[in-house]
Amino acid sequence: MKELLSIRNFKAYYQTSSEEVRAVDGISLDLNEGEILGIAGESGCGKSTFSISLSCLFPPPLKYISGEIFLDGIDITKLNTQEIRKSILGPKISFIPQSSMNALNPTIRIRNFAIDIVKQHEPKTTRENIIHRVIERFESLSLPKDVLNRYPFELSGGMRQRTLVILSTIMNPEIVIADEPTSALDVSSQREVIELLKIMVKKKIMKSLIFITHELPILRQIADGIAVMYAGQIVEIGSVSDILFNAHHPYADVLMSSMIVPEKGMREKNLPSVSGTPPDLRHAIKGCRFADRCPEFKKDCREKDIEMVELTKGSFVRCIHPLRTKK
Amino acid sequence: MPGNPITGIVSKMASGGAPSDVLEKLYNSYIQEFGLDKPLYIQFWDYLVKVLHGDLGVSFSLYPIRVNEILAKALPWTIALQVPSIIIGWLLGNFLGVTAAYKKGKFDSVLFPFSLFISCIPYYCLAIILLYFFGVVLHILPTNGGYSMNLVPSFSISFILDVLKHYFLPFLSIVLVTIGGQAVGMREMSIYELNTDYVNYSKSLGIKESKIIRYVFRNAMLPQITGLALSLGTMVGGALIVEIVFSYPGVGTWLFNGIRQQDYPLIQGGTLLVTMAVLTANFFIDIIYSFVDPRIKASQIEE
Ligand SMILES: Nc1ncnc2c1ncn2[C@@H]1O[C@H](COP(=O)(O)OP(=O)(O)OP(=O)(O)O)[C@@H](O)[C@H]1O
Ligand SMILES: [Mg+2]
Repeated sequence: MKELLSIRNFKAYYQTSSEEVRAVDGISLDLNEGEILGIAGESGCGKSTFSISLSCLFPPPLKYISGEIFLDGIDITKLNTQEIRKSILGPKISFIPQSSMNALNPTIRIRNFAIDIVKQHEPKTTRENIIHRVIERFESLSLPKDVLNRYPFELSGGMRQRTLVILSTIMNPEIVIADEPTSALDVSSQREVIELLKIMVKKKIMKSLIFITHELPILRQIADGIAVMYAGQIVEIGSVSDILFNAHHPYADVLMSSMIVPEKGMREKNLPSVSGTPPDLRHAIKGCRFADRCPEFKKDCREKDIEMVELTKGSFVRCIHPLRTKK
Repeated sequence: MPGNPITGIVSKMASGGAPSDVLEKLYNSYIQEFGLDKPLYIQFWDYLVKVLHGDLGVSFSLYPIRVNEILAKALPWTIALQVPSIIIGWLLGNFLGVTAAYKKGKFDSVLFPFSLFISCIPYYCLAIILLYFFGVVLHILPTNGGYSMNLVPSFSISFILDVLKHYFLPFLSIVLVTIGGQAVGMREMSIYELNTDYVNYSKSLGIKESKIIRYVFRNAMLPQITGLALSLGTMVGGALIVEIVFSYPGVGTWLFNGIRQQDYPLIQGGTLLVTMAVLTANFFIDIIYSFVDPRIKASQIEE
């Protein structure tokens, strides 16, 4: 399998005059062609920040700190805004926003917005050709092409989200990043969006997908692998079944069990089975970030920063006392 | 306004030195002519009937000229002054507002306080400042009137240039104040729009800034159009005062003359005209709004 994206020790902080929030603090991961990677983690662990940073635009107060993001062998963190906008965003990396009434400009028709997107990257293509292409795309994914003549407010929530999916992928991007794209939808619309995404990966309209969600059933439906984030870092990456049933990191383990059996009324509290709260991202933390809350805590956990280690092929964990491993 | 306007007219003639019984007769004939001997409700009824027939009556101060005639002469000046200046000020103000919101930094930190300052100055103050500076101190622009008294209105180059010279200061006063007010409002609206999801989404698709500014401009302008409808009355009122400051031969100056000389028919006619004009303009703004905002159009069609 061809490797598309390779992120190395990437850090991006929110920096204001008064404080610094280390929201993404040393993320490394690889993404292969055709792969769908799910990212899970408690609220506030930095999932959205990580997804925004992949655009390399770093809207203030977010700031690039260090690390590399290799896309086709080029480190895109070194490109300037102009180059990013011209050649990366759209054709290489694209985003599917959370479904909201406002994700689309309320006063232009879908068709004109699609034209604006394509024109941006292919200024020479005529409007007719673009419209033709967009209609084809809608039809091939069995969506009514009539959507194109409408304004965003004239679409149902589910239809609007599927339209967003198509608009985001109109340039056939290599990597699509979706941050909770279904969290505002009802269950049947959720399923439609998930199906649409899966078909698009299969049809190679996009080469790979990073999918951020709180909802485990969705990860099970769509993802090939899962990365579990905690306090700005990835603590474990592995295949869906490994992470779900054989997690090695104690945090991944409790997170998965809490997601599998959502206790009534406990949905908001993400981790019913561990006490304590995630560490404050404004301060540097020595050693394992989960140590305070870890049921498996040992003395040496806090001694030095923990590195990611590969346990088996494709399975990485950031823990010096991983669960379910024969010593 | 206390005082009997007829006494005023008659006493003006008396300064010519007419005998008192003649004046007495004159007085009575004026009273009759203007219908002032009738009871108030009949006077009012007469007025309504006349107005509905488009007759605004005879001016007291310029007897026997009709108010219609005076206003018909004044209206073109007022329209030519106010319509372009309010529209240009409005557009420029909105454009500057959105640019300030987008560019932030230096541009904003200069423009914003400046607009706020300008928008807080009453119309007449700015007009007087400009008049004093350009007309009195620098002596480069005329200080009053629509054209020089020694010229006869014609379509000659020299007359047109003269009119433009007189036009400039009142025009500038109105434009500046309108820019100030609009820029402040538009900046707020644009800052809000720039933080909406669709702006971020468009950016994440690589759409370039100028296009995004265009989206934002259009959407932030919608509430500004409503704002224009709401504040049009104030704007026109202010612009009328600018006319007075420059003795511009428009409706504002005539209204002011009317007030000074207790010319009730002229005051009534002038205010009626201005009110009708503002209402009509409002009506058109509403229609335009429903064309530019698809959401309004849709809800109207549903109804
Ligand atoms: N503009 C900002 N300025 C400062 N800190 C911020 C800002 N935005 C987010 N943060 C902080 O960064 C951390 C990561 O936030 P982020 O939104 O990435 O979390 P998340 O994992 O996406 O959470 P959720 O699951 O609730 O969406 C949080 O601690 C948050 O408080
Ligand atoms: Mg988030």
